[in-house]
Amino acid sequence: MIDWGSFGTVALASIVSASLLVTLYALGARLIANQGDFLPRTKRIVGIGCFALCAALVLYGIYLIVPALHG
Amino acid sequence: MDITLIVALVIVLALFFDFTNGFHDTANAMATPIATGALKPKVAVAIAAVLNLVGAFLSTEVAKTISGGLIREGESGIQITPVMIFAGLIGAIVWNMVTWLLGLPSSSSHALFGGLIGATIVGAGFGAIDGGVLLSKIVLPALLAPAIAAVVAFTATKIALAIARGSESTTGSFRYGQIFTSSLVSLAHGTNDAQKTMGVITLTLVAAGFQAGGTGPEFWVIAVCALAIALGTYMGGWRIIRTLGAGITDVSPPQGFAAEASTTATILASSHLGFALSTTQVASGSVIGAGLGKDRQAVRWKVAGRIAIAWLITLPAAALMAAAAELIARIGPIGIAIDAAIGLGVIVFIFLRSRHNKVDASNVTDLIPVVPDDPSALSGTVEKTEKAL
Repeated sequence: MIDWGSFGTVALASIVSASLLVTLYALGARLIANQGDFLPRTKRIVGIGCFALCAALVLYGIYLIVPALHG
Repeated sequence: MDITLIVALVIVLALFFDFTNGFHDTANAMATPIATGALKPKVAVAIAAVLNLVGAFLSTEVAKTISGGLIREGESGIQITPVMIFAGLIGAIVWNMVTWLLGLPSSSSHALFGGLIGATIVGAGFGAIDGGVLLSKIVLPALLAPAIAAVVAFTATKIALAIARGSESTTGSFRYGQIFTSSLVSLAHGTNDAQKTMGVITLTLVAAGFQAGGTGPEFWVIAVCALAIALGTYMGGWRIIRTLGAGITDVSPPQGFAAEASTTATILASSHLGFALSTTQVASGSVIGAGLGKDRQAVRWKVAGRIAIAWLITLPAAALMAAAAELIARIGPIGIAIDAAIGLGVIVFIFLRSRHNKVDASNVTDLIPVVPDDPSALSGTVEKTEKAL
């Protein structure tokens, strides 16, 4: 009656994707957070990289929402 | 009764339902960004309205049956008449208005299905309802949706707080991030919820012989449904926003971001991996999970309990009211007129009642008063206040 298989898949996908997004975003925020006047170059680059991956996840979200994009 | 007239009535009611659906669900996307100050209340509802409008045009997959299989419709089953749909919509609308007055985020889909089920039982007997589908599509998911969302948001909140610990300056980033996640929720909502009303109107037109069977919705149907849900969304449903954003727990920016990310992830996963979950229940579960992720004491369980009760009784309550409306409607044209008059009366009454303790963009983030129906707020009227649930 209840399709536990697909429920499990939904649960797993939700937890993995939400955790991934939050981890990346929080890391990005932490890395570029203003710590005095000086922000080391590597921190800045990695931080921006984290945000870029978040943006990719958001774009994937839009791709999933708009039926015309994925048929 | 003239079939054209009843079809016109159904269309008007369906659009009004769509409108209530809009303001009922603004909170799903926008309660937490408003609560954390990520978006100004008016800006938040404007964004949600535009994205719902756009979303309604994006998806062309309209429900093949009005009830999603709950009612045995079609060739071998029963014929749902426009009068039953009319009665069902009255039940759904009245229940949506009542829960809005009480500030409870209940599922609009459940109200719609409940209304249609109630009207169908009166019109065609209990045999018309598929109990198995009811259990597997409504009852069990209603328990699973908040649970899964709470677990996801709990985990996400723990992660966000752990990474951000000791760095106050990340707060701004978390606020900013909420704008994106809440926008995704709004867009996803638009592609789903306006569809239900389009389906109801289209199937009514088909049933009345105004449109060929098996054809999709007319463009004007898509357009008016999109406008109705967007307008409703823009109205804000501030009472429900307050419950979700400030009532269940006090949401900080990292929690808000984690909750929105969880809602987005869970809704997208559920709609693409074949296990449908209610947006409203997912959003509420996420807020509870975000509260728990910070501090177990941070969740006001009394508020959460009221919401859970509202979920449980939404379907039967809408069904009962629709059943009563269907009983009256069976008298004939006079019955339908009585139904319409009572429905209108209830809507006007609830609207006037809501003005006694108005919630709008200016006070939506205030804490909920301990006594929701504060007698002093009634400013001397003798009207008896109903006990909230």
